[in-house]
Amino acid sequence: MAEQAQENSSLSAVVADVAAGVALALDGGRDSSALSGVLAQDDPLALAAIRVLGADVLAPYALRAGGGPGTTTDTGTDMDSGMAHRRTARASGVGAGPAARGARADGEVVRKALAAYPPGADASEVSLWSYRGLVEASRAYLPAGQGGPESPAGAGDRAAGPAAVAGWLQADPWPQLAHRASQLAALSLPGLAPALATGLAARTEDLSRGFVRAVRRRDWLQAAGIGRWLARVPDVPDTLGLDTGLVYVLRMSGGDARVALHTAIARRFHGRGAR
Amino acid sequence: MTAAPPALLHRVGDRALAWLHSNREYFRLTDDDRATGRGLVERLKPVGELAINMRVLAREGVAGSRQRDLSRQLLDFAWRDLLDGGNVLADLQAEEPLSPVPLEIYASLHELGYRHPGLEAAIDLARTTASWRAVEMLPNRRLGLLNAERKIGLVPSGDAEQALAATWLGRTPEPWTVQFHLAYDITHTVFHLTDWGAAPDRLPPRIAGYLALYLPAWTADWAELEHWDLLGELLVVDACLPAPTLDARMWERYAAAQAADGAMPVQGAMPAGDPETVFDLVHHPTLVAAFASAMATSRALSSDVAA
Repeated sequence: MAEQAQENSSLSAVVADVAAGVALALDGGRDSSALSGVLAQDDPLALAAIRVLGADVLAPYALRAGGGPGTTTDTGTDMDSGMAHRRTARASGVGAGPAARGARADGEVVRKALAAYPPGADASEVSLWSYRGLVEASRAYLPAGQGGPESPAGAGDRAAGPAAVAGWLQADPWPQLAHRASQLAALSLPGLAPALATGLAARTEDLSRGFVRAVRRRDWLQAAGIGRWLARVPDVPDTLGLDTGLVYVLRMSGGDARVALHTAIARRFHGRGAR
Repeated sequence: MTAAPPALLHRVGDRALAWLHSNREYFRLTDDDRATGRGLVERLKPVGELAINMRVLAREGVAGSRQRDLSRQLLDFAWRDLLDGGNVLADLQAEEPLSPVPLEIYASLHELGYRHPGLEAAIDLARTTASWRAVEMLPNRRLGLLNAERKIGLVPSGDAEQALAATWLGRTPEPWTVQFHLAYDITHTVFHLTDWGAAPDRLPPRIAGYLALYLPAWTADWAELEHWDLLGELLVVDACLPAPTLDARMWERYAAAQAADGAMPVQGAMPAGDPETVFDLVHHPTLVAAFASAMATSRALSSDVAA
């Protein structure tokens, strides 16, 4: 999907719009985190854009849910009082209001995107993972009954098998590993792919090398994607300068919305980047 | 990661040395160089690099008998024919008493047994001044000067730790900021700190760890850019680490870039032109190839290569 997006400028534009909307919601610049509010509903490319961005389209929900299920991240430290307030509001029963309607609409649009673009029989592993990440995110982050779409065509189950985790996570040389990790950056959201996260956390040095190389090559999107995984781990080498690196990547990308989304997530979920 | 086989590592240096030997006449100072004195230091730089290389070869003991012969002939040629038994260096020192260049070139030759007492006296005289220690230069070059003093048996005129702290590498900054010139600052800091690979243990663990972590990223990048001169220097740095990788993929690419006659291009393919022009363009990367090969072969034959 990602490769096709690069070749398709109109899809790229929609992807950028959606990414920008999600980043804005993360930073509290939009009242609703509702994805459906960001999308032009009648745009046929909108569903494809959701598949390109994967689980990231639901990142604001993960943040409101306090970082997502089973997370070990310290999202509490970097949530501003506004986020805390929203969490309180949700807990005290505004679930029937506009926020709940937004979540319902978002569950619906994600379901449509999953149905419209299931990974084919010859889908790449990245496409399978990304699909599975979006399935997982809608189950985990959307309120009960609004997410958890039935997995169409069983493709999600294929991707969910442990075989998908094995192999390359241990065996890939660092350049390939880092490249693949950046393509799977959306799965770094809390709780989505614990085995993947654990496997990558064991290769922090290799991801650090990949970050260096990506910045050197001015591949800002790859650098930001790798940076997100590094933002999760406590033992990222100090010498890497991850915080200044994420800010640098954001600025140098010249306003690339997908880069901005990656760096916003590193900042909002893990407190890395701008301090 | 697979380490390159010693035969591959050795072959690169063997061929580079053969090229240096058969092109040795081009190291000569031209009549114009001597008459005007212009560009003398630039012409002497390759001679100094040649001497360092032959010193490395002699020290690492990885040369076969043919290589040893070529290396000895090149050294004698450098000392007698190019430097007029050291007189060229002594003249330069007389001309510019505070220039570090004669010492930088002389140091390796001194280690190999060549002597010029007049030059040593002139260097001693310069060293009595506070100005010698105050002369401004790049921090990694200061480190090199201190190393050169040590090589000829003098007490270094400054503190090596302080000199290291003033270098880019000494501060271990963000590795993703490394650009072309910074990369050369890094390699030269390592060369001077380890005395051209003779004493890898002089790399403080903090810096060795930093290099082990990020060197693969820089190496991969400049290999992709086909910058063989810098790649060669980075491969030397790898060979100076406590656990060198001697990465087979990098060495295979590097070896494949070498011309049939042993010359190593700076970047991309071999340049075209008359022999003098080509020599001026490729003597440095070819010297680097000989250096990298000697260091890597030596480390490959010891048992401390990283798994």
